[in-house]
This record gives sequence, C-alpha cells and structure tokens, in this order.
Amino acid sequence: MQGQGQAQAQTQKAAAPAQDKAAQEKISELRALFADASQVGKTALENVLKELTSQVSEPPPPIESAGRVGARLGKISELTIVVPLVPGGAKRLRSFLQLLGGNLTPGAIKVGTLHDMRFVFLDNDTRLLFATSFDGDWDTYIDDFIALIPDYLDLMDSAWEGWPGIRSPGAKDYLVKHQITAEGWFVANPDLTLAETQRLKQVGKAVDEFLEKVG
Amino acid sequence: MPYINESGGASAATRAPALELNEIQATVLRQRPAPYFGTHLLLRVDDARSGRAFLARLIPYVDSAAGWLNAANAWIAVGVSHAGLAALGLPQDSLQSFPEAFREGMAARARQLGDDGVNSPKNWDLPYGKGEIHIGLSAFSDSEEKRRQILGIARQQFEGFSGVSILAMQDFGAQPGDLNSLGYKDGIDQPPIEGSGVDPLPGQGRPIKAGEFILGYPGEAGVPLSMPQPDILGRNSTYVGFRKYQTRVGSFNRFLQAHGSTTQERELLAAKLVGRWRSGAPLVLAPNSDDPALGADPQRNNNFNYANDSRGRQAPRGCHIRRMNPRDAELTRLTDVNLHRLIRRGTTYGPPYDPNALSETDDEVPRGAIFLFISAKAMATIEFLQQEWINDGNFMGLGDERDPIIGLQEEGANFTIPREPVRHLVRGIETFNVLRGGEYFFMPSLSALKWIAKGFQ
Repeated sequence: MQGQGQAQAQTQKAAAPAQDKAAQEKISELRALFADASQVGKTALENVLKELTSQVSEPPPPIESAGRVGARLGKISELTIVVPLVPGGAKRLRSFLQLLGGNLTPGAIKVGTLHDMRFVFLDNDTRLLFATSFDGDWDTYIDDFIALIPDYLDLMDSAWEGWPGIRSPGAKDYLVKHQITAEGWFVANPDLTLAETQRLKQVGKAVDEFLEKVG
Repeated sequence: MPYINESGGASAATRAPALELNEIQATVLRQRPAPYFGTHLLLRVDDARSGRAFLARLIPYVDSAAGWLNAANAWIAVGVSHAGLAALGLPQDSLQSFPEAFREGMAARARQLGDDGVNSPKNWDLPYGKGEIHIGLSAFSDSEEKRRQILGIARQQFEGFSGVSILAMQDFGAQPGDLNSLGYKDGIDQPPIEGSGVDPLPGQGRPIKAGEFILGYPGEAGVPLSMPQPDILGRNSTYVGFRKYQTRVGSFNRFLQAHGSTTQERELLAAKLVGRWRSGAPLVLAPNSDDPALGADPQRNNNFNYANDSRGRQAPRGCHIRRMNPRDAELTRLTDVNLHRLIRRGTTYGPPYDPNALSETDDEVPRGAIFLFISAKAMATIEFLQQEWINDGNFMGLGDERDPIIGLQEEGANFTIPREPVRHLVRGIETFNVLRGGEYFFMPSLSALKWIAKGFQ
C-alpha cells in the first residue's frame, strides 16, 4: 500500500512541468528565509502556504516598467520619490498644501492622468515621500508639463534639496536619482485610464437616462 | 558664432535668432513643388574613404535653404543613418553623442513605435531593417525632365566608386492632381517656423521656435535641444524619420462600400476618416459636401480650428488630421500641441489611387507613401505620436481606437463618428496603410557635410 502511494507521488513529481519546479523553488527559498522570522511571521506563513503555492504555480503576469524608472501594471504606472528637504522647505511646502486644506484636486485634475498623489513628511520634516499613480509611461509628457505648469512644479519642488528647477536639463536626472521603483504594484483596474473612466461614467449616465425614458 | 540678429530695437532675448539659411538643407524649409517629381535613393557605404569621397562630390548639388522662396526647381536632400555615420568613419565619441533612438535605428525601436504585427520590421521590404541603409538621397523637382536631370547628376557622383552601393531606388510623385495613394490632396498643414522669414499661412498656428526643428537654435523652452558633438556636426542639422507605407487600396474601397450604399455616403465616410474631403477641403469648413475651390486655396483650406466642433460632429475626434494636429481641440490630458509637431514631406509612389480597385491583389500593388518627418527631435516626436496619438485613443477620450489612416488596427477595430442623436460606431476598420520599412536619418548642415567629407576636419 505504502509502495503504491510512493510510486504515485514520484510519478506526479516527474510529470510536473518546469513552471511548477520554479514555483517550488521560490516557495522553498521563501520558507528558508522565514526561518529567521519572528514566530508570528513563521506561523502566518505556514497557515497560507498551501494557498500561496497554488497561486505561484499559476501566477499573474509580472509588473512591467513605466519607462526609465517606476513600475507599471496595464496602463497605470507608479512614481515614488523619497527626497531630503532643505531647511524650512517642509514648512513652506506644508503651508502651500494647507492653502487648499491638503486637497490638491483643482490643480492635479487638470493634468488629466493623475489617479492619486500623496505628500508625506518623514523623519521630523527632514525628508519627503512623494508618490503618485498615473496613466502611461514616465516621461512621455514631461516636456508638456515643463511648458504648461513649470511654476507649480518648481514651487513645490523647491523644498527638495538640490532641485535644479524644472527647466534645467538636469531636472529629469534628478527625478530618476530620487525615484525608487516599486517592487510590488497593484491597481484594481489596470486598463482604466482617467480618460476611459470619464468616458464610461458618461456612457453610464446616458444609459441610465435612456432606461428612465423607456422604463 | 553670433547668430543672434542684434540689429533693430528689440532685445536679443525677445528676438528670434536669424536662421543660417545657407547652412540648413533646403528640404527642411522648402515645400515640395506642385506638381512634384522625385526619387529616393538608399545607399550602403562599403568603404569609409569612398563614402566620404562620394559625399564630397555630392555636396555642390545639395541645396541650402537660402533663397528658398525662389526655389530652384530641383534639389537633393541627404540624410545619414547612425550605421552610415559609423560606416563613414565618424569618431566613436561623436557617434555616442547622438540620441539613443537614433543610435538604435528605426527597426530596433519597433516596441516604442508600436511597429508590431504586419508592421513589424520582420516583415519589412528589403533593404529596410538590416542596418545597411547608410545614406538616403531624395531628389525633388517640378517636372519629369528635371527629375531625370538631377537624378543623373546624383548617379554620376558615384560612378567609379566601388565603395558605395545602391540598395534601392524609388520614384515618387507624378500623380494626377498630386493626389496621394488614397486619392486625397495631402501635405496641407505644416508647422510655421519662427525666423524662417515667412508669415504662417492662415490656420498653421503661431510660429514655433526654430530650435524645435533645427539644431542649435532655442526651442520652445528657450534653450537649444541637445545636439550631437562636435558643434560643427550638430549646428543647423536636424533629424528625419523616413517611413514607407504600402496602401491597401482594395481594402479601403471595400470598407467604404461595406459601410455606404451611395457614392455620397462613401465619400462622406472617407472624409470622416481623414478630416478632409479629397480636394483637401476640411470638414470643419465644409461639413456636408466637398468644396474643391476651398480645397485648392492655401489661404483658406487650413484656416480652421475645432472651437465650434468640440464634440467632433463635423470632424470626428479620432479622424486623421485631428489626431496629427489637435490644434485647440480639448484633450483629456495636459498637452502642449506645439511640442509634438513635425515638418512633413509626403512622397506618393506607384500608380494613382483607383476607386474601382476592390481585390486583395489590388492591395498588393506597390503603391503608397514614403514620408519624411523632420524635426530636431524627430525620433522622440514620432515615437510619441505613434504611442499616444496614432495607436491609441486615450488622449481624445476614445479608449483604444486608433488612427483610421495610418494606425495599426487590431482585429475588430472600431471608428467613432459622433452624430445626433446617437454616435455611429463603424466596425471592422482595417490597417489601410501598412509599414514596409523605415529608418532614422541625420540631415547634416552644409558645413557638417563638408566636415564629414573631409574626414572630420
């Protein structure tokens, strides 16, 4: 009886495709690293191990690059910058953000591609985390921003240590230098750009009106 | 070199620098004549010394833009690819100073250009896509006789040179009425260039800083765009994106017939795809029927904007000309349209458009258009246009819809025609113009050509 089970297991192992083998290796590596984790972590891993293993054998497509730097899933990219602030920079930036109670909608909405944007002050106002998710690649429209909203960019970014000014040829390199590509990136609707969302909202509204007319 | 024109009362900061017209190649500023006749020659340099000697012999026949208004009626334009610059022996540090896209060559930029599927470099005609196209020569003239003459001169220059080979020759132009391969008057809209000495035609928009189109001058941001080194190589030079399209005339005609039952309906549908009628009359000015007098008048045929057509009921938001130059149309994202313009020299080749061509064989008749897209950042602009305005519709709120004339269409593609009370969705639009090859060229100034020919001295 035992021999039969063993033979079965061995056959299954031999028939496993290369993909499963790679998945097994990833899981093994994870388990090995978690040997150094806290007991809380170790227990949690064991609890989800089965589910994780089946997910890893049929993984979703990997995240892509947003161009020069940054991660992208479908049509939506992320940009995450951590930058030291000049003395007094945090105060000035905070004062600007507070003009509109921390809500940057009036300006940000005009860009047309920003899904979200956050300014987070770190380490006693000495550093800033700036993060945004947006449509498309990293630098496709940067020249347009330089042409149309250079002063808003400089106003905010002047708090950043060493910021050369958006019109400077070194501006793009500065951004790349302080940007960190996310290694995990999720968006709920990777194919829904801002423009497409607007369009669908309009279509939805028109359908509702139509149904009301005929209903 | 003081090229700022400091005569007159205005300060140097506000005056446009006078362009060194005698340095800039004629084609950058000179429109093609009407009618136009010409030939493209694609050459490979097998021996650096021979290649440079060939250039030296050619230079006297390469027209500059000086006196471009009273153009001589035949001229030659010369472009060199990155592989060509290397083959001519350009020093390594100079080769490295060119933008990445130019260094890679158009075939290697297929991903950024969206040149996939039928347009993939894997499917291109020879000699395209192999890195062997080193020099592109284009001869323009206003008569068949002059075309033969100037071509004869060009060919004479490399007789006796074993180190330069002709890879391909393509005659162009000579079309009845100068119509393109889809039967349309084309090349109407061009960006006006500040300092070129010519007032913009009505509708072209405000003059754009010369540096966007010619290296070495201030661009829209007030500073010159990045230039290859040394200075003599880059100044007054520019870049050309060369793209050869095969027109599937049968497919286009079948599409019109499938979606329109009368000639009038078909012509209106075709106009909705382009944004103009066959005469060149824009839909915004002639929404219901063609107006040949309007189409023929350069003072009127481009004098429009989209202020009164924001929903695209006259010119659909996704039509070809509205995509290629959105003018004042409202876009879904913050854009400065003046940063994305190209000087376009379209050259039609092959037999004229045939309204009765319906078969798949007709699709394969060698007939189409070779475009020269010129700007100081041509690679970046062409790649931007391909990604954002041609093979996508997001910028106009049109989702995944693509340009109906030069877009690469996917299976089951649609085209939206805004209409009251309900928009009309035209289904089954196909790729009517297939990319058969292309390359990125550097168009050196006259001094740069001489510098190269003399062995980089």
